[in-house]
Amino acid sequence: MSKRRGSGGSAAEREGAAGGSGGTRDTTPALGTRGQPGSYRRAVEGAAVALTRGRFGDARWSYLYGRDTSYAPEAAVDGQVQSAARRMRGGEEIPDTVQGPVIKPAVWTWEVPLYFWLGGIATGSSFVALGCDAAGDHSSARTARMVTLAAALPSAPLLVKDLGRPARFLNMLRIFKPRSPMSMGAWCLMGFSNLAGAAVAADVLGRSGTARALGAGTAGLGLYLGSYTGVLLASTAVPVWARSRVFLPPIFVATAAATGAAANRLVLSATGLPSGHPTRTALGRVETGAMAAELLLSSGNEKRPGSAAWREPLDQGRPGQVVGARRPGATPGAQARRRSGAPSRQRAVPRRGPRFPLRVGGCG
Amino acid sequence: MSAAPTEIAIHREGAERMGFFTDTTVCIGCKACEVACKQWNDLPADGSVFRKGMSYDHTGSLGAATWRHVRFVERLAPSAAEREDAASRLAAGGGGGVPSLPVDGGRWTGDGGRGTVDSPGDLDLVALAESGAGEEEGSGGVDVAGAVAQMDRWLFMSDVCKHCTNAGCLDACPTGAIIRTEFQTVFIQPDVCNGCGYCIPSCPFGVVDRDKIDGRAGKCTLCYDRLQDGLEPACAKACPTDSILFGPYDELVDIARRRVAELHARGIDGAYLYGAGDEPQDQLAGGLGAFFLLTEAPERFGLPAQAESPIQENAPVATAAGLGAALAAAGAVVATFVLSHRGGRRR
Ligand code: SF4
Ligand code: SF4
Ligand code: SF4
Repeated sequence: MSKRRGSGGSAAEREGAAGGSGGTRDTTPALGTRGQPGSYRRAVEGAAVALTRGRFGDARWSYLYGRDTSYAPEAAVDGQVQSAARRMRGGEEIPDTVQGPVIKPAVWTWEVPLYFWLGGIATGSSFVALGCDAAGDHSSARTARMVTLAAALPSAPLLVKDLGRPARFLNMLRIFKPRSPMSMGAWCLMGFSNLAGAAVAADVLGRSGTARALGAGTAGLGLYLGSYTGVLLASTAVPVWARSRVFLPPIFVATAAATGAAANRLVLSATGLPSGHPTRTALGRVETGAMAAELLLSSGNEKRPGSAAWREPLDQGRPGQVVGARRPGATPGAQARRRSGAPSRQRAVPRRGPRFPLRVGGCG
Repeated sequence: MSAAPTEIAIHREGAERMGFFTDTTVCIGCKACEVACKQWNDLPADGSVFRKGMSYDHTGSLGAATWRHVRFVERLAPSAAEREDAASRLAAGGGGGVPSLPVDGGRWTGDGGRGTVDSPGDLDLVALAESGAGEEEGSGGVDVAGAVAQMDRWLFMSDVCKHCTNAGCLDACPTGAIIRTEFQTVFIQPDVCNGCGYCIPSCPFGVVDRDKIDGRAGKCTLCYDRLQDGLEPACAKACPTDSILFGPYDELVDIARRRVAELHARGIDGAYLYGAGDEPQDQLAGGLGAFFLLTEAPERFGLPAQAESPIQENAPVATAAGLGAALAAAGAVVATFVLSHRGGRRR
C-alpha cells in the first residue's frame, strides 16, 4: 500500500515530498514495478496517485476559464458554429501553405507485394483447376491444384514476417471481424491454404472425386482471396487507393487470373503438355483476356473524370516510374506533362505517396 | 453523439464519453503537454530536428512515441486581400489590424500613447512599447501599414489522436487490439497488437504509427490508466493555459460553442470548431472525441478538410465490386476451358 494513499496531500506531506524537511521522498511508481518493463498494472493494487482529487475533480477546476471569466460567456446563436466550420472547411480552395503529410504512409515492406502476387497466382490457379475439371481434363486439374498449393504455402510465412511482432501472428485468428478486410483475409487465407493442401493430399491418395470437390471449395474461397487484397488497400485513407475502390479489387482479380493461368501454362508446358492441347489454348486465352481486362480497368480508372485529384502519386517518384513504364506508349516527357492539377479538398492529400505502386498485383 | 453502443468493449457504471477540447487561440506553444505525455507514458524522444528554415517546431509530428505534438504554424504572411484591407483602413484613419491607433496616412503619429486608447479592451502592446521606449516626437515614426503587411502570425496547435466516433484504426484492426473503452475513447491494447500495420494508413488523420523498435502500433490512449482512476490526462493537467480542456464530452462541446461565439463577437471571424457541433452531413469521422478550435483552414495545420473512417466508407462498395469481378472471372475461366475443349475435340 502506498504511503500517501488518499491523503489529499497535507502541507507537511508536500514538504516531505519536495524533500524539504527530512523524511525520505516517496517515489513509488503508480504503475508498474521499479526496474521492470512498463506496464499498465499497478505496483500496489488499489493504490491511487499522490495528491489525486479523483472523479476528474482536477479537470473541472480552472482559475482561468470558469463561468465567471470572459473566456466563453456568450451562448452561440443557432447555426453559428456549424456555418463557421462549413465556411472554413468547405469549398474547393486549398490554402497556399499546407502542412503535411496529412496521413502516414503504409509501413508494409516487400513481403506484402510479393504475397499479393503469390496470392493472385494461387487464386488464378484454383480457377484454372475448376475450369480443367469442368472441361474434363483431370490430369491438368491435378497439376493446377498443386500449383495452387505451391503458391499459397509461402503466403502465410511472408505475412508473418511482415508483422511488427511476428511471434504474435496467432492474434490474427483471435477474433472473426467481418468489418476488417485484413481479419477476413487472414481467415480466408487460412481456409484456402488448408483446402488446397487437403485437395492435393486427396490427389496423392488417389481420391480424385474428393480432390475435385475440395478443389471447387478452394476456388470458392479464391473468390474472396483474389479480391480482398484490393478491398484492403481501397479501405485505407490513401487517396489513390480509396478513390479507386470500385476498380482496385477487379484489377486484382484480373491480374490473379492472368498470373494464375501463366503459372499453369509454364508448369504444364514444362511437364510435357503438347502445344495445341486445348488446355494450353484455353490457358492462353484466359491470360490474354485477363490482361486485356486489367489494362482496360486500370486505364479506365486512371482516365476517369476527376482522377487528377488523386492520381499524382501514379505519375511521380518511383511509383510513377514503375506505373509509367508499364503503361503502353508512356514516355518520361509525357509523364512530366501529365502532372496533375490542384488537389481536391474533399479528402486528405498526402504529400508522400504510397510506398508501392497501385498495380502491384500486375507484376506477373 | 456517441459511438455505437455495441462497439464499447468495457462497461462501467457511470462512465460517460470523455474528450478533449483544444483551443488553439490560447496555446502558447510551450510544449509542456508533449513533455508531460512522454513522462507519464514513458515514451522515448523522437529526436530533435529543425527542418531547415521551415519552422521552430523541432519535434516532428505525431507518431508511435509522440502522442501529443504541438504543431507550429508559421510564415503565414497576410493574404493580398488582408493587406489591402489593412492599408485602406489605415488610409481612412481606422487603424486596420491594430485598431484605434492614432495614425496619419499609415504613419504612426506617436503622442506618447496617452489618451489614444478608446477603451481598455483596445490596449495595444506594440503602441505601448513604442511609447515606453521614449522615442522622440517626429524622429521617424513606425510604418504601421507596412508592419501589418509584413506581419507573420504564429499559431500553435497541440495535436493528438482524435478518438473518432467512426474510428478508421479501430475498424481496420484485425486482432481486436484496438478497442473502445468505457469512456468511448479509442485504446490500443499493447499486449494484443501484433504490429500488422493496417491501422496506420486507415487513420484519416495520420495519427497512429508503428514503433520501429517495439514493432507495435502506438498512439494517445487518452491516458486510459489515469481516467480509470478519475484523474485528468497528463497533457491537460500540465497545460498552463488550459488550452487543453478535458472533461465530459457534452460539457466540452458546450464550452467550445460559447468560445466560438465569444471569438466571433471579438471580431475573429475565422474561429470555428474542427470536429464537433457539426450537422451530421458535415461531421468529421462521425464527430471527434478530441476536437479543436482553429482560426485557419485545417490544411494549414496538416488536417484534412473532410474525413471519414475509410473502411466504413469504402469497404462495402469495394467488397461488392471485388466479389462480383471474382465471380465473373471464375465463370469466364470455366467457360473458356469448356469451350476450348469442345472446339479442340471437334478439330
Ligand atoms: S482513426 Fe486516427 S484519429 Fe481516429 S481514433 Fe484512430 S488513430 Fe485516433
Ligand atoms: S491523453 Fe495522455 S496519452 Fe494522450 S496525449 Fe494526453 S498525456 Fe498523452
Ligand atoms: S496546449 Fe498547453 S501545454 Fe501544450 S503547448 Fe499549448 S499551452 Fe503549452
